Amino acid sequence: MVPAMPTPLDDWFVREILVHERPLVHLLLRSWPHRDEVADLRQEIYARVYEAAARELPRQPKAFLFATARHLVADRVRRSKVVSIEPMGDFEPSSVLVDEVSPERWCGGRQRLARLARAFDRLPDRCREVVWLRRVEHLSQREVAERLGISEKTVEKHIAKGMRLIALHYYGGDAEGAPAPADAASGGDGLRRADEP
Amino acid sequence: MSADTRIDAIAADWLARRDGPAWSALDEAGLQDWLARDVRHKVALLRLQSAWAEAGRLEALAAGLPRGTPPRRGLWSQGAGPVASAAPDPLLQLRDHVFAPRTRPPRRRRARAVAAATLAACVLALGWGSHVLTGAEPVRQATALGEVRRVDLADGSQASLGSDSRIAVRLSRRERRIALERGEAYFEAARDPARPFVVEAGNRRVVAVGTRFSVRRDAGELRVVVTEGLVRLEADAGGEAAGPTLLPAGSVAIVHRDGVLVRAMPLAEAARLVDWRSGLLVFQDTLLADAASEFNRYNARKIVIADPRVGELRIGGSFRWANAEGFVRLLEQGFPVRAEYRSDRIVLHAP
Repeated sequence: MVPAMPTPLDDWFVREILVHERPLVHLLLRSWPHRDEVADLRQEIYARVYEAAARELPRQPKAFLFATARHLVADRVRRSKVVSIEPMGDFEPSSVLVDEVSPERWCGGRQRLARLARAFDRLPDRCREVVWLRRVEHLSQREVAERLGISEKTVEKHIAKGMRLIALHYYGGDAEGAPAPADAASGGDGLRRADEP
Repeated sequence: MSADTRIDAIAADWLARRDGPAWSALDEAGLQDWLARDVRHKVALLRLQSAWAEAGRLEALAAGLPRGTPPRRGLWSQGAGPVASAAPDPLLQLRDHVFAPRTRPPRRRRARAVAAATLAACVLALGWGSHVLTGAEPVRQATALGEVRRVDLADGSQASLGSDSRIAVRLSRRERRIALERGEAYFEAARDPARPFVVEAGNRRVVAVGTRFSVRRDAGELRVVVTEGLVRLEADAGGEAAGPTLLPAGSVAIVHRDGVLVRAMPLAEAARLVDWRSGLLVFQDTLLADAASEFNRYNARKIVIADPRVGELRIGGSFRWANAEGFVRLLEQGFPVRAEYRSDRIVLHAP
């Protein structure tokens, strides 16, 4: 029940890397032609950064993150050969400095809270309600189920979904701009699963 | 939208299950096994876990709101669009943030309208309001000039009273309400999400869930220093536009009649502003005039600045507030200041 203590490396990763998700995703979206693969790329980049940091912490986490992204994309491009040169246009060195949320700004409590409030407000109704009761009012999953007259399994699903959506909007923010309707269909994997009652 | 990945979905399922009642040692072993299999699993879990931990901070926004249901959407957003990320460190002015009328007992609202009228009426009206609600008399605590005292409140919170200060404490089932009637107090609020910890000073309220902060009132000014957690500073309802202001740890807010000025500073620096609890006044590049009035908060024998040029000197250091004379003697040694020691005051002249 009690989560394992986070290691210093875990803390570092959350503090120094996750905060750059928004510009990272932004960059990937502009540089990789297949939107539905961007999340996988992002994850792969995180994994590489984490592994490298386990050996030695990069001095400049942000620069390291973007360098890793650049290498990974270049790698994939070489291997796939399907991708035209054009999408690579954004990988001019200058564009790597895309910086919409500097860590300094990010660390401002008010800014973070504003992002959090916005991420929360974007949750679907039921999910929003469940997250509120569980996370803010500290009801147990069972109590939430009783309060809302739904099964505990459903509560659990809403919580899983709430975590994913909050992470997506809190860290990613509006990196992808206004979501195009077509993307909602293509990005479909699991996000809609928990929608079903 | 770029959405997330299959791995994210699985990680979220693990975390949601772990959050539930049926989590066993076997489950934990299963999770550890899954994590060990691929670094991508690990980073996905970290990311979701920390987002979920962050979501706990919603509590700070929730203090004082009706319980049982989330607030309406957009309550916290600044304008219609996304929070302007271009604006440098915007104060999150929580728009339209008023208590939902239907959940407020009417008599409390009435009391609040009265409160807006005058300070004296404020104290009386709130006293009456919560008297009606709880039947509890407020407990008053006060310090004399030059006295600093720490008092335990019945809910487990602590208040450190500065020199010449007074608070009135009313604890009810629904709320912990402390009126700062005079002076300064540093609060270590015990955590209790069900009962917001509200400090009132004139027509301002400082709302916390569980956190450490100080509130101090002077003639035309209120100062709030937050050293841990997060508090919400509100103007009295009935006042127009002024929305609540969120103050994270490290904030120093100065409230004037016409507005609120917030400075974010490193925590250690903010903490120094409440060092008076241990008998110290700490200055850093402080105008001597300001330093003198700090000393005067604690001492009957006042430091009086006779020459404005002296008041403009900047000083730093940490001093015992009980030893104003020692402070002045030091000044004389290092600064162009000549002191005249009288029994009731110390007058500072330019040499």
